[in-house]
Amino acid sequence: MPAIAVERLERAFGDVLAVRGVDLEVDEGEIYGFLGPNGAGKTTTVRMLTTLLLPTAGRATVAGHDVVAEARAVRASIGVALQEAALDPLMTGRELIRLQATLQGLPTAEGRRRADDLLERVDLIAAADRRVGGYSGGMKRRLDLAAALVHEPRVLFLDEPTTGLDPVSRKTIWEEVRALNDEGTTVFLTTQYLEEADQLADNVAIIDQGRIVAEGTPDALKAEIGNPHVQLQLADGSVDAAERVLAEIGKLLPPSDGRTVLVEVENGAADIPRVVRALDDAGVGVEALELVRPTLDDVFVATTGHHLEKKQVPTTSSAPANA
Amino acid sequence: MNSLRVNARVIRALGMRSIRQTFRRPQLMAPILVFPTLLLAVQTGGAGGAVDLPGFPPVQGFLQFMLAGAMMQSLMLAGNSGGIAFAVDIEMGFTDRLFAAPVPRYTIVLGRLAGVAALGFLSAVWFFAIGLAFGAEVHSGVAGVLIAVFLVTATATAVGGIGAAIALRTGSASVVQGLFPLVLVVLFLSSAFFPVDLMVQPAKAIAEYNPFSFIVEGVRTPIIAEVDATDLLEALLAIAGIVVLGLVLSARALRHRLRTG
Amino acid sequence: MEATAPLPQWRANLATIAALMARAKNELLRVPGAAIPGVLAPTIFFLGINGVFGALTQLRGFDTGTYESFVVPVSMLQGAGFTGAAAGVNLARDMEQGWVDRLLVSPAPRWVLLAGTVLAASARALIPATFVLAIALLLGASWPGVAGLLIAYLMTAAMAATAACWGSALALRFKSQSAAPLMQAGMMAVIFTTTAYAPLALLQPWMRSVAEVNPVTQVMDAARQGFLGAVTWAETWPAILVMLALIAALGAWALREMRRTAA
Repeated sequence: MPAIAVERLERAFGDVLAVRGVDLEVDEGEIYGFLGPNGAGKTTTVRMLTTLLLPTAGRATVAGHDVVAEARAVRASIGVALQEAALDPLMTGRELIRLQATLQGLPTAEGRRRADDLLERVDLIAAADRRVGGYSGGMKRRLDLAAALVHEPRVLFLDEPTTGLDPVSRKTIWEEVRALNDEGTTVFLTTQYLEEADQLADNVAIIDQGRIVAEGTPDALKAEIGNPHVQLQLADGSVDAAERVLAEIGKLLPPSDGRTVLVEVENGAADIPRVVRALDDAGVGVEALELVRPTLDDVFVATTGHHLEKKQVPTTSSAPANA
Repeated sequence: MNSLRVNARVIRALGMRSIRQTFRRPQLMAPILVFPTLLLAVQTGGAGGAVDLPGFPPVQGFLQFMLAGAMMQSLMLAGNSGGIAFAVDIEMGFTDRLFAAPVPRYTIVLGRLAGVAALGFLSAVWFFAIGLAFGAEVHSGVAGVLIAVFLVTATATAVGGIGAAIALRTGSASVVQGLFPLVLVVLFLSSAFFPVDLMVQPAKAIAEYNPFSFIVEGVRTPIIAEVDATDLLEALLAIAGIVVLGLVLSARALRHRLRTG
Repeated sequence: MEATAPLPQWRANLATIAALMARAKNELLRVPGAAIPGVLAPTIFFLGINGVFGALTQLRGFDTGTYESFVVPVSMLQGAGFTGAAAGVNLARDMEQGWVDRLLVSPAPRWVLLAGTVLAASARALIPATFVLAIALLLGASWPGVAGLLIAYLMTAAMAATAACWGSALALRFKSQSAAPLMQAGMMAVIFTTTAYAPLALLQPWMRSVAEVNPVTQVMDAARQGFLGAVTWAETWPAILVMLALIAALGAWALREMRRTAA
């Protein structure tokens, strides 16, 4: 039985269809990534699966229970860390996890024991008796995660768990998610970060404007787009010579400017020595070399026509101050 | 003259902003109009028999008597509300933006006060409309209305100055908000809701010397009787006193804030 | 980790209610100065109304010796109304900040979540009520007797529960603190359009008509009886009925709104 099964799930807000017939299946023990830009329908989908929102059409089961007809059973089986890190600033970390344990119906002594274990696990034991209002963003997310785990849920929903966090905190959350998954927890993770989906997810669904536009393992999705290519910056502008040599190894890709050449390589990194040797034999100097693999953003562009992540464009003028 | 015109524009722009802020958030408007109106209704309906007490001033009805008190309550809450909004601006860092601009400091405070004055004016008009709708008459006619509206607007501005001073000094909206019970105390210990002579000690003794009692009488007299020059003068002096207090406190608080950041 | 047997549902429900009540007390104890307006405002109103309108006892038909005795239950109930409305405002704030999602996503029954808010308000309302009562007794209000005191406290707690149900329903309906004035004004209107300022016969005609149909007038009179004289069952049971009916109706509405948050 899948951990999560969704069939033609829809959610309308007035005339606006935020989720338009989503179908997906998540196996037990999987990390499933739900990737899409802001406003794509990720959070709406999660809120339906966690019983916070009723679907307007379709059906879904989580841990074997229907999200509408058996909502309470669903709630007893899931852990949820929502986008807003729903924490009370006046409570201490320890109090919050104990309250969560009580909400989940755990006996008091058991709840306390689990609270202490989880605080230790997410490295918050030293701050456990400080008020949450004084926690950093990373600490709040770790606490939210710990609270979601207090009853050892079968399925864990993480809605953009690392948005707004610094790289170190992000990495800590990733490690924790992997560890949980190793212990058998199914994880449904929504994110707008390509790297997060790429690094963590066994399977990824890309959602845009309420519809799933692509689904599969990260590698399979990227492979559908094309082969990796090698980007070379040449030392002395001898582009013609380089292109002649490289055309025999793989397909040349535009653009080529005065110093850069791009060549597709079927075997990825394994073809690099061949490229280097060929250029060396031809006397072409190489200043820099990079293997560029297709990204999930390339998958997104291929399926939707626009980028998931905005590229950073350097600008000479600063934005005007707010009036 | 040019800089005066520029400063006036700044005051107007900041004043419009503070008015818009208030009207866009119902939880800010309600204390200023809804609660005083509700209190006016229940006090008139519940304690209206007071007009039969010996010594009660000759009035057309208890509503006519109470209008001034309702306006006072409204304007004081407007002043408190203005202070809270100013403190929120300070907490958010918006006032830093203003202090960094090439405008005289006083325009920033006056801009905030312009908003409070507008609310005071509105509350006076509102309660006159309510009064007239429910049969209360203004004994001195148009002149009485104009005098009362002027006094209420001026008092709102004066009280707003105190609110602004507290906001500048503390920089904390919750501190200013916590002063709301003080507003109630000042009102109850004045002639806002009952003739001073019929109040119970020690409230009576305090009300006799409370400057707000003089202002209330200045607003009330033209409504229930002919305009009285003494009452008007006493009200104006009381307002002037509060204005001076507000100016002194604001100036000191502003200097302190700019010195300490 | 070895799991122990889960709690029976009734024990889990009680534990959840207790935990939510414990959280509610943080508002009073952990926010500097937060307790003061809630505790002081009813007392200020009491002193104010007493000092301002005390002469009303001179009117013919005012059948009580002291205005303090007449007004103290008004302030107790007013404090209860404030406290209950504040519970609604806090719930609205919790909704805005996402905290309520944490509660809604748990398997705790919806009525248990509501009961935590409502019972916390009932308990909290006893604090300003006691404060007002102490001041009133110092100023010469009559001692209501044990029965009168218990009934006054019962009405206070029930009024706070009613106000909390009202405030919660609005919070869940509008999901925003901008509904706060409606929560507060509603309670103010319902408490003061009774025999709050004067006995029924001395109210203005329109107010008398309203007070006669306002069920909270029964509650006001029941809370007041010990302060004015003897406590009777005839004066008490209608008030209990009114409170039960209001709590049931407003509680049902709040529960419906809580279920509808997912709609």
